[in-house]
Amino acid sequence: MRPPLELLPGNVADDGPFSAGQPLPRRLPRGRHGIPSNIVVEHQRLRLIAAMAEALAEHGYAAVTTTHVSELAGVSTSTFYKHFGNLWDCLLAAYVWSADRLCAEIEVAVEGRAEDANALAIGIEAALAFFAAEPQLAQLLGAQPPLEASAVIAARRILVSRLAAMLRRARGATEPGEQPAGLDERLLDATLAFLHGRVRAGEAARLAELGPELVAILERPRVAA
Amino acid sequence: MRPEACAAAREALPVQTTAPAPEAPDKTVREGEMEGALQVVGELGYRGASVRAVLEYSGGHRRQFYEHFESLEDCFAQAYKAWIERLGVDVLEAAVSAPGWQSAVQAGLVRLFRFVSERPQIARALFVEVEVAGGEPVAKHEEALERLATALDSVRGEIEPEAAPPQSAGMFVVGGIEACVCEVLAGGSEKRVWDSLPELMHLAVGTYLGPAAAEEAFDEARALLERDRVRLRGEEQ
Repeated sequence: MRPPLELLPGNVADDGPFSAGQPLPRRLPRGRHGIPSNIVVEHQRLRLIAAMAEALAEHGYAAVTTTHVSELAGVSTSTFYKHFGNLWDCLLAAYVWSADRLCAEIEVAVEGRAEDANALAIGIEAALAFFAAEPQLAQLLGAQPPLEASAVIAARRILVSRLAAMLRRARGATEPGEQPAGLDERLLDATLAFLHGRVRAGEAARLAELGPELVAILERPRVAA
Repeated sequence: MRPEACAAAREALPVQTTAPAPEAPDKTVREGEMEGALQVVGELGYRGASVRAVLEYSGGHRRQFYEHFESLEDCFAQAYKAWIERLGVDVLEAAVSAPGWQSAVQAGLVRLFRFVSERPQIARALFVEVEVAGGEPVAKHEEALERLATALDSVRGEIEPEAAPPQSAGMFVVGGIEACVCEVLAGGSEKRVWDSLPELMHLAVGTYLGPAAAEEAFDEARALLERDRVRLRGEEQ
């Protein structure tokens, strides 16, 4: 399943197919379409970002190239380089875009839950559904980035910190409390690594089944009474 | 960790754990090239490695290299298999020599961290760049993690069924340990891996045995670091 593309609010047209709330086509119409140039450029950038995760899943870190990404996005390699300095810049953009989407999915699900529903279970369920629908993003977000992609390594730390803060909110605490500092981050690191392993083993379609186990592990008391 | 669990895991490893017989010179050269491949991949990244860089590290000639291996990828794959299995055996042997599961987990982590701080480039190749290599090395990597998860699971026999953690606990904990190792390796601060020992002991022990045991394990690990900081981190007095 290909992810939806959403333009940045500042680039949304007042009306027409590129106005707020309208589904964004994957390909722009051929010929004279009258679409503002800033929207065309943003649309290309988003296509490249989405294509990065797909190209990575298809070719792996060892073989993926800017040509693979450009072809999947339907743009030329010269257009690729108008948007990104190199492959790793594009990878960083794809990582941040995917991390934002994951966090948004979890937040929307948790905020919209029934009053008596378990926030942690709802959040995990949303994350598992997200990864099951787009397993290439589980690979992108869960795998250890290579040494060349140092900025992505930092982006992974930020994602883990955001998820750890969500875990604390789900527990009803915003601070780690008496447990060792950094333990929640380790728990989330372990969760991402675990899910990445399951997707790599070809079990993306069965991720939802892991929900109760992950809830049980993450809910285990970490501070003695 | 129960000794029989570690023994079973060790027997599954097709590597020699006793001192090897004196080796033929060609075998030594070949092993040097394999170590060189891991070292270079750890330094330059998998995509940046080359046969030339490997030979600059190991010595020897290009023709000889291609007599031993079909390609750099082949050399890396063979090196990966040998080193990850050897490291797995070392970790399990350290664990099995400790009294009790909790001490065994700590001993295994100490052995792993010692490897990471002493051979950071090789550790980067084994834990970080394997993702780039893909293929057979990734399969060997998964096998190694599963063996360690199986060894961790050996404590289940001592846990009441109603208190037992989910089946995924072993792979979950191993994944958390590896992610932590990757983080320090990626930051080029391998000596700092020791700082995470108490947290990881809390994570591992807490996942299986609950918070009281986790806190005890955390305090023990912290005491070990304070007591043996110089020896463990290899720091000068």
